[in-house]
Amino acid sequence: MAATDIAVVGFAQTPSVRKARESEVQLLVPIVTEALARAGLDRREVGFTCAGSCDYLTGGPFAFVSNLEAAGAWPPISESHVEMDGAWALYEAWVRLQHGDIDTALVFGSGKSSPSKPEEMWAQQLDPYYLAPLGVDPASLAGIQARALIDAGKATERDFAEVVARNRANAKDNPNAQVSGDYSVDKLLQAPYVRAPLRAHDFPPISDGAVAVVLARGDRARELCDRPAWIRGLDHRIEVHQPGMRDLTASTSTTLAARKAGYDGGPLDVIELSSTFSPQEIILREALGLDADANVNPSGGALAGNPVMATGLVRIAEVAQRIVEGSAGRGLAHATGGQVLQHNLVCLMEGD
Amino acid sequence: MSDTTTPKENLVMNHLVSLSYSEELTPILERYVDALIDGRIVGHKCPQCGRVYVPGKGYCPICVVETTDKDEFEVSDRGTVTGFTIITPVAYYGQTETEPFVYASVLLDGSSGNLGGQDIIGVAHDQLHSGMRVRAVWKPPNERTAEGVSNRGWGSVASVIDAFEWTGEPDADRSVYEEHIF
Repeated sequence: MAATDIAVVGFAQTPSVRKARESEVQLLVPIVTEALARAGLDRREVGFTCAGSCDYLTGGPFAFVSNLEAAGAWPPISESHVEMDGAWALYEAWVRLQHGDIDTALVFGSGKSSPSKPEEMWAQQLDPYYLAPLGVDPASLAGIQARALIDAGKATERDFAEVVARNRANAKDNPNAQVSGDYSVDKLLQAPYVRAPLRAHDFPPISDGAVAVVLARGDRARELCDRPAWIRGLDHRIEVHQPGMRDLTASTSTTLAARKAGYDGGPLDVIELSSTFSPQEIILREALGLDADANVNPSGGALAGNPVMATGLVRIAEVAQRIVEGSAGRGLAHATGGQVLQHNLVCLMEGD
Repeated sequence: MSDTTTPKENLVMNHLVSLSYSEELTPILERYVDALIDGRIVGHKCPQCGRVYVPGKGYCPICVVETTDKDEFEVSDRGTVTGFTIITPVAYYGQTETEPFVYASVLLDGSSGNLGGQDIIGVAHDQLHSGMRVRAVWKPPNERTAEGVSNRGWGSVASVIDAFEWTGEPDADRSVYEEHIF
């Protein structure tokens, strides 16, 4: 049985920017320090550290080892790394905390997309026989997904533009957002296609950024935080590896992850979704059974800032922050990995 | 019964991948390169523990405190050989060396970490040893470039320093280099 007494007690993130001049470790050092300080935890007390990043992004072999310098890895610490979004690093830390012998963990996710060409690089993430050699990039697959949604009668191009306008408007209150502001749906629909039926605004921005989260268990969580964001459930599920073998208009893995995480369809004060392309928010809303007026992406979501490898953990931090600060009682965060919602994680959090 | 004697042709698919990256040096590395071209080697000195990193990282990985231009610290272009390897080149793609060559680690005076992969000249290979005192042989100023310095890696000096040569000084005391054998 999964433990229910593990909570987010600290967090910090960098703004999402198109190009950070600093190294990825330099992005991490101040926010790791800030997240620990927020929890009032000395880094030498941290029981376990786990990071999520991708060496392909910066093009540096073993870049993830340098990133560990932000945690102060001397004298040696107990740590791990996932070549995935930091949300999965949080998952590993959450599992590790359930061993019961440690009571705190530090998690971070970071990525600089600015040095590479994401369309070129992410094509290599796909099946090396049938898809990668074709150079199928995330934007093209997202275009196919968007087309499937329209063909199935589940959404229109106007719906996509409405998602964009809503997220960008929400992002006006988010100091870490890269893209924000008031946009008219009619005007958005006049923009040219980039990958029909998608327009440039349906894409996430290319971002550099990082996020850190501190977890604690049981009484330790209460010591470190007045109102911990308790992780009531955490689960991740994955689709079949070939995108052509599934219904791209639905996210079965998200539905399953949410159910396994214990989400019963009850009211949620805040929901943060890693919908990196606008149509994916429509798919995820359906997968989670959210009402039309649900409070989705008050931060502006991934369309307002997409520091790949941090984006999902940022969602968890955004929900946790609202619970810790008392503006939300119960929230759900979603992270995704791979393309067209290949792998999905759901984290259900609650205040006391 | 299956035919196991007739050789079958394997289907071979070539998938050549080329990824492009482009970025500016971080501001710290820009200053590092400018100094190198100027004939100086600079790093960052941690305000907390005093360790000197060449080039600077913008933080001390031991103390996890940020370092800035204010913490810039010039180290000497003289140092001590801490360890070395004599490499006998074998032919592989990209190998340009044909004769045995030296790959030495040099602890510059004032620095807390080695400069790896340096050639040592002025001494026969069989006379090389840890503790030898060496100094940088700089390229002429008009031949120094920023080539080889990137945001990945450990701050190469190959585009400004050709090699290190034995100074003729007595060996450094073992305590200078025993924590830096690499």
